[in-house]
Amino acid sequence: MDALVHFLPQVWFVILALFLFLYVMLDGFDLGVGILSLTSSDEERRSLLMTSLGNIWDANETWLVLMGGALFGAFPLAYGTILSALYIPIFMMIFGLIFRAVAFEFREHSNLKLLWNFAFGAGSFLAALGQGFALGSVIEGIEVDEAGHFIGSTWDWLDWRSLLVALTLIQGYVLIGSTYLILKTEGELQKTHYRTAKLAATTTVIGAILITIVTPIVYEAARTRLFSPPLIYVFAVIPVLGMMLVGLLLRSLNREEESTPFIWTILIFLLTFIGLGLIVFPYIIPTQITIYQAAAAPSALVFMLTFIGVLIPIMLFYNIYNYVVFRGKVAGSAYGE
Amino acid sequence: MDLLSNTVALSRMQFALTAIFHMLWPVLTTGMAIYLVIVEGLWLKTRNPDYYRHARFWSKLYVLNFGIGVASGLPMEFQFGTNWAPFSEAVGDFFGSILGFEGAMAFMLEAGFLGIMLFGWGRVHPVIHYLATIMVAFGANLSTFWILVANSWLQSPAGGEMVNGKFIVSDYFQAIANPFMVKSVSHMFFATLETSLFVIGGISAWYILNNRQQAFFSQSLKIVLAAAVAVTPLQIYIGHLSAEQVAHYQPTKLAAMEAKWETSPAGQPADWSLLAIPDEATQTNKWEITIPNGLGYILEFKKNLSEPVLGLREWPASDRPRMVGLIYYAFRIMSGIGFFLAGLMLWSVLQWLLGNLSTEKIGQQTWLLRTWIFAAPLGYIAVESGWIVRCVGRQPWTLYGQIRTADAASQIPASNVLTSLTLFSVVYSILFVATLYFGSRIIRQGPNLELPIPGLDDQPAVETEPATFVPDQRPLEAQQ
Repeated sequence: MDALVHFLPQVWFVILALFLFLYVMLDGFDLGVGILSLTSSDEERRSLLMTSLGNIWDANETWLVLMGGALFGAFPLAYGTILSALYIPIFMMIFGLIFRAVAFEFREHSNLKLLWNFAFGAGSFLAALGQGFALGSVIEGIEVDEAGHFIGSTWDWLDWRSLLVALTLIQGYVLIGSTYLILKTEGELQKTHYRTAKLAATTTVIGAILITIVTPIVYEAARTRLFSPPLIYVFAVIPVLGMMLVGLLLRSLNREEESTPFIWTILIFLLTFIGLGLIVFPYIIPTQITIYQAAAAPSALVFMLTFIGVLIPIMLFYNIYNYVVFRGKVAGSAYGE
Repeated sequence: MDLLSNTVALSRMQFALTAIFHMLWPVLTTGMAIYLVIVEGLWLKTRNPDYYRHARFWSKLYVLNFGIGVASGLPMEFQFGTNWAPFSEAVGDFFGSILGFEGAMAFMLEAGFLGIMLFGWGRVHPVIHYLATIMVAFGANLSTFWILVANSWLQSPAGGEMVNGKFIVSDYFQAIANPFMVKSVSHMFFATLETSLFVIGGISAWYILNNRQQAFFSQSLKIVLAAAVAVTPLQIYIGHLSAEQVAHYQPTKLAAMEAKWETSPAGQPADWSLLAIPDEATQTNKWEITIPNGLGYILEFKKNLSEPVLGLREWPASDRPRMVGLIYYAFRIMSGIGFFLAGLMLWSVLQWLLGNLSTEKIGQQTWLLRTWIFAAPLGYIAVESGWIVRCVGRQPWTLYGQIRTADAASQIPASNVLTSLTLFSVVYSILFVATLYFGSRIIRQGPNLELPIPGLDDQPAVETEPATFVPDQRPLEAQQ
């Protein structure tokens, strides 16, 4: 029984990390493309960018909905505490995603394309910003009482550290967005995406390095955990691996390879995620509430596992099928050849 | 108590606003998805290109509504955490799991196949495409199922008990199959279908009345009418069953639905109030039209009540819903519309049997067509009214009889909620107007009857016979 009490929350921690990773990777490039669209002055190019997402943005966003529901069911305490503490960034994200979603539907029918272009780009930016602040403040920690309820103030999430995380996340989204566009476009347009990808790779790496340096300096709790075994090994290995991947990414961009930049970027995201996960574990609200304290009853976790667990491979299967059906370059490009 | 500094009241208003707005879109897409399955199936079976064009035309309206539905659905889920954190913590074991199932089973299925349904016409085999359309409809209706499971459980909690402020589940399947579940799921399933049918029917009637593609839109009107024959009476019957279960499990809600202040004892007849002005201060109806002995007939189809019907005065004001007038009239509007739509169905079927709906004659049925256009938005009003009865009538409880709404809300600064509520009001007003505008634009534009038909295996889309060179065989003199 004791093993069960520990094992089930761990399983759900991993499943939630998987959902969150899939969301950040998949909707990450949607949002990145959206942010990039703000820099485009050309209507045709913007149409192309939006077409490249038309069939998938909704499925990608659904990973967030799924993550929310699963967090609610598996760690109800964390769901309530984190979301009510991050009221403002969460609603930034929600309004951003609302603008992004309606832009897809309205732009097609509207004569006033400018307005919905802005809704698409600015919505993507706002959503990414909200997510970045939320991520930053969860890493920093949320002020709670002994029962795990939020007791901080409503602006706790806003400081220069969470701003740094938010800006870095936006850079990361732009990076994965431009490597996705390298896959989906051709000709002159593709060339511009090689340039943005290189630029975004550089700014993302600078941000990541700053976060890596700042976190142990500012947070004593993080410092003691990071510089003692076993995390010290993780903390030593991940940056090295990360720099290797960044090197590979830059090389593939310089060689103008088509699919490898996207793959290297995904691996960089994955590595960062594993690093974050290892640092956070076994907490769900770092250094305050562990996954064991926040978890639902074991029966609830088993109940959810039987229904959702079985569906994970099926969901992955038809999502991949969706990508296979729409593989290849976006059609209707005036930039082709 | 100042409303603007009352977090609980503001959070309730925000939930009500976002829920009422959100409901408008999935109610159409869920029902219309079934209609799309029907027309695409008819196309595959009959190869009549009109059915293919129906599928393409209605899916334009479908996707517009779907997009707004997705956008407005996000705040529904996240609000449980942001504004109702104590509630989330108390019921997460069951309620959160169900929202998780909805994501994994319903939303993902719908979203995963939507791309193929909308953009995949030339990319996949027609049968695979049909499968995608079926999956979208199946996913949408699964989400009706799970959401109504979750909401029914709030109405009639089962499968466990409250221990130290947390709902401990002992039997998850009993919680899913809570007393309200079957009837509520059916009521909502038919509500989405009925609303969509009358929207499609109303739009078709508009085209016919305006002499545009009469033959084409007679097809959709007849499909709708055929479905309405079954759907409209069934919905009235399920509505009656739903009212019975309210009478049994939620007597405070029934009393509010009927603006009933005094208890009517068993074994006697009781009057049924048709219209009234309920007054909560004096706990009476200021003015009232009643139907003598009507209540027994409405609840049990007989004159004398077999069980007492309790009046609102039986409970202290803190244990019964407020806004009695709203609940009372919302219930009357919903049921009135249900009967009206069934009546419209009967009138139309009569004309159909008389042969007046043939393509040549249908244009002359001006009043019938106008009534169909008038009926197009009624389903929405009925659905919203029904949800108001259901959820305002459940007050003061969030989890009926177990968790009070006042205890369920997050203690966050009222200014936060006021800000987000204001933003929602502004943004949703814009989205509402914009959707109506773009929707009417799609309708005015009409269907594209020139659309090329994608091929089936034995019927290639394009003739691909290679051109052959035929040498000029005329006599030499004629060749110049």
